[in-house]
Amino acid sequence: MKLWVSVAFVALTSVVRAEVLLSEDEIQQTLSFGPWPPPIQPDPSNRGSNDPRAIALGAALFDDPVLSIDGALACASCHNPEQAFTTLDPRAFGRVLLDRNTPSLRNLAGLRWYGWGGKSDNLWAASLHPIVEEQEMAHSEESLKRAISESPYVSDFEDIFGDIESQNPELVLVKIAKALSAYLETLVTERTQFDDFRDALERSDLAEAANYPEAAQRGLQLFLGRGNCAFCHNGPRFSNNEFHDAGVPYFLSETEVDEGRFGGLNFLLSSPYTLDGDWNDDPDKQGAWAVRNVRRSHSDFGNFRTPSLRGVAETDPYMHDGSLNDLDAVVRHYSEIDTERLHTNGDAVLSELKLTEQEIADLVAFLETLSSATRP
Amino acid sequence: MIRWLVWFLASSGAAIACEATGQRMSTETQNAPAVHVAVDEIPLAQPFSILLTVCGETAVSEMRVDAVMPAHQHGMNYLPVVTAIGDDVFRIDDMLFHMPGKWELQVDVEYNGQTVSYTYDLALK
Ligand code: HEC
Ligand code: HEC
Repeated sequence: MKLWVSVAFVALTSVVRAEVLLSEDEIQQTLSFGPWPPPIQPDPSNRGSNDPRAIALGAALFDDPVLSIDGALACASCHNPEQAFTTLDPRAFGRVLLDRNTPSLRNLAGLRWYGWGGKSDNLWAASLHPIVEEQEMAHSEESLKRAISESPYVSDFEDIFGDIESQNPELVLVKIAKALSAYLETLVTERTQFDDFRDALERSDLAEAANYPEAAQRGLQLFLGRGNCAFCHNGPRFSNNEFHDAGVPYFLSETEVDEGRFGGLNFLLSSPYTLDGDWNDDPDKQGAWAVRNVRRSHSDFGNFRTPSLRGVAETDPYMHDGSLNDLDAVVRHYSEIDTERLHTNGDAVLSELKLTEQEIADLVAFLETLSSATRP
Repeated sequence: MIRWLVWFLASSGAAIACEATGQRMSTETQNAPAVHVAVDEIPLAQPFSILLTVCGETAVSEMRVDAVMPAHQHGMNYLPVVTAIGDDVFRIDDMLFHMPGKWELQVDVEYNGQTVSYTYDLALK
């Protein structure tokens, strides 16, 4: 009986104490991280977008090593669906060890840029490059066409895209990439504790909003305020989808650097597979303005695309080179950032935050609420 | 006397037409034609357009538009596109502010080979 009374008492005090800590201004900013999920908008540059047959073909091909020259690798070898479409390796390892961390493939529909250096301006191009990249699946257009013709997928391919024999190999490559892209568009992270909080704030339901842990609320306040995180991590995906220097070293060896956005732009501007090119299915070429008007600058060198933070707790290790093991390490990185190492003409928003242990824990608690699951 | 009156009517007419189209931009050049900017709400990290109206007698031969974030030492990642859509009215497309904060809109207008620079501060939440 005594025990029962004290349990009830503890429960009661925690109900009474829970409250919304955010100011009116912080609440307004919080609303800008939603709603979630975003409305589905088919990709006009891909005729296969939103077509159930193309999606099903893309899903099957994604898991099949037929897309690599020697049958050794599938997309899923690096983008493992059981591990939030990435792996635990710091840097992707397939045929060889690559320079970069494998990104998770969720929430990619409708972005302006793809890849750490933004070498693609659309999702089918980002799905096409790994198939023919020497260091990844290493197919040629011809070997891919042969492999598909001889595979069980040929009838599905022909149902959707017509007779394969009469098509030139480059066209087959683009169509395979568009089927993969149609599938990838369907991968969306689930709603999270943060979304429930955000929607409760939108409805002005403070009692419901108060269920969001106070540590996460304090972390959110740091994210919006002193941490300056929302300068780059903003909008429903927590990314502005542009390129920045977040103070992660970009030396690969003593003599080599990862060129980041600089290399991405070189690749993009010589690629036939952009929204401004002939393979775009959209006669209006919506979205092509970005590749036409994008500007080069000195600071492109060693800049990387701001990653989305949705589902981030499931995708360790972090950063373009997978150099930080967990979210605690990422927050400590920002807390102790060496501003001397940032580009001189880079972003003056990052500074040594000198967070306390409590603040570090709060910011991590907030980041964890952006995922519906954590890595097992 | 009559010429005076005609001139007065013409110039006040032009001034009224210009006032209708947004805020006047600042310039350090004295007696420069006024340039007005009309902006709707600016979306963060998404492309948007603005309208610029030049109020002057002299024809515009060229216009360049840019924007910078003075606090963070950087400009826009895209080159905006300028389209003349009427007498002295220009639409500027593909503007994109990729960070919240204070941006300075910078417009260079060339009249008869002479360039006048204008600025206007915009705040983005
Ligand atoms: C060897 C490992 C590996 C394989 C195999 C692989 N990828 Fe990737 N993927 C990566 C890495 C690493 C990156 C980041 C590359 C970069 O940005 O430079 C990436 C990036 C991407 C992106 C861009 C994601 C983003 O956030 O912008 C897409 C889309 C993608 N891969 C799809 C695929 C598809 C489809 C396949 C199969 C055809 C595939 N990948 C095969 C490792 C791999
Ligand atoms: C100047 C823009 C900018 C600011 C400000 C910023 N970030 Fe980042 N963030 C980035 C970029 C760019 C990367 C990728 C850097 C790289 O890999 O080199 C990144 C990476 C991350 C990652 C790793 C994600 C992954 O999947 O690898 C996390 C987590 C993160 N940031 C959280 C934060 C937090 C928390 C703050 C505030 C303390 C913050 N960021 C401030 C731009 C920024």
